[in-house]
Amino acid sequence: MNGAINFTHGFSHGVEWGWPIAVYLLLAGISGGALIVALMVRYYKKQHEDTPLLKAASLVSFATIAFGMVFLVGDLEKPLYFWKILINYNFTSVMSIGVLAISIYIPLTLVMCLYMFEKEISIVLAKKNTLVSYFAMIMSILTRFRPLIEVLSVVFAVIICAYTGFLISVLVRFPILNTAILPALFVVSGLSAGTASASMVASWLFKEDTHSSDLKTLHTIEWPVMAIEIMLIAMLFVSLLVGNEFQKTTTVAFQSGVYANLFWFGVMGLGFGIPLVLNFALGKKIASSHIAFYLSGMASVVGVLCLRMFIIYAGQTFGI
Amino acid sequence: MENDGKRRAFLKVLGLGSVTLGGAGYTLMADATQEPSKAKPHYGMIFDQNKCVGCTDCEVACKKVNAVPAGQARLFVENKTDPATPMEKKYVRVSCQQCEDAPCVKVCPSKACHRDSKTGIVTMNPDDCIACKYCIVACPYDVRFINHKTKAAENCNFCLNTNLAKGKEPGCVEACKYKALVFGDLNDENSYINQILHVKDSVRMKPTYGTKPSLRYIPVVKVGV
Repeated sequence: MNGAINFTHGFSHGVEWGWPIAVYLLLAGISGGALIVALMVRYYKKQHEDTPLLKAASLVSFATIAFGMVFLVGDLEKPLYFWKILINYNFTSVMSIGVLAISIYIPLTLVMCLYMFEKEISIVLAKKNTLVSYFAMIMSILTRFRPLIEVLSVVFAVIICAYTGFLISVLVRFPILNTAILPALFVVSGLSAGTASASMVASWLFKEDTHSSDLKTLHTIEWPVMAIEIMLIAMLFVSLLVGNEFQKTTTVAFQSGVYANLFWFGVMGLGFGIPLVLNFALGKKIASSHIAFYLSGMASVVGVLCLRMFIIYAGQTFGI
Repeated sequence: MENDGKRRAFLKVLGLGSVTLGGAGYTLMADATQEPSKAKPHYGMIFDQNKCVGCTDCEVACKKVNAVPAGQARLFVENKTDPATPMEKKYVRVSCQQCEDAPCVKVCPSKACHRDSKTGIVTMNPDDCIACKYCIVACPYDVRFINHKTKAAENCNFCLNTNLAKGKEPGCVEACKYKALVFGDLNDENSYINQILHVKDSVRMKPTYGTKPSLRYIPVVKVGV
């Protein structure tokens, strides 16, 4: 009897959450991923000094999440009313939970930046003596909490990456989005984009040698992360392929049309193919060159952007 | 003859007993009938496909009553006539399903999309809506939209602020010449909507989502001879 009557007309007419949201998801992923890898390297190597990698990661994570907010708020039809979220907080909404996490996470990344650039900020403020003394006072208090701030930063960086996945996996109408794999995929792809961004900024702005021990460590963990990412995407595809009637119809997104091109050329070709070719197929000389370093870093960031674009657009196009 | 007295006594007891028990039963019944009126209403609607002719008078009335901007709609009548049998016309109402377990209310970050405290109807507070479109993508039925004029999300709320506030039936129900739409309180056992639901088979749209829509559909079912 359930199939006896049905309607197929919808009022939304197409993709409601467009590219600004995909860009925001990328920026949040980079922000969280960069901070996670840099702090993990710090713990793993028991470092005490502020390495160029950690400096770069702190700067990247603050800049990307702040820039991401511009896209997130800009996508609202009533951007000037965004503060209504804070006064009418709804605990059952993933978006509200995410906003709460973001409002803790952004200050954390800011404090991380303050730790990293304490000297530079003091030099800038030196022209005004009163400001410098205030800054020194604040920093002396903040420095006492540094271990705690670092741990909280890692925890919230993971929460930020994961929540962006949960945000869209609760949309039951869209089989590509409504999967348990999505938050995991977003954490892992965030790690790979964050690693690439942090190492590029470390080398470019903070003159870290591209063959330094920190960046070598990142290079070795890059490939397993990429492998897990491919595995999760394959799992997503297979779960749709073996799923119910509606899930099966969405697999066309991977097989033909604009979104299939975006997936195969963007995600697979750019994101995974180019870094692999540059680093393994063309010999040691090219693999260790500066151009290859930046090119493969850019390629994996763009690849993750393509993945977010694919998920957002194909996900909302193939609804029930 | 001794039995006669006993029988009389027995009849007396029976009579008195039935009166008192009946009375008690009646007061209990009265309590039971008063209960639903005290309970919160649960408004529902029936769309009867057997009666709908696709005249779209309901659509027109809805736009007029709720001042829906041109080119947008809270309510749409979709033609679902099977091309193989063009003479057997089939229409279906597309509108907010008024779910008991509404995903839009759950995901709204600013509580703009909420359940009205008096009537339990899922409705909007346009001032609190930041138009993040989360409710639109979360709705399994795709029946929500951003009103171009108010820039706030909107859905069919059974004319909560318009006709219902004036004590009238929703605009679409008033406008329907063929009585294909019935509106009423599902918590009131005596309401006309319940009387129909008792005697007719009705279905909910996409029941697998578990959102428990308050909109019921009576489909055309041709058994064939």
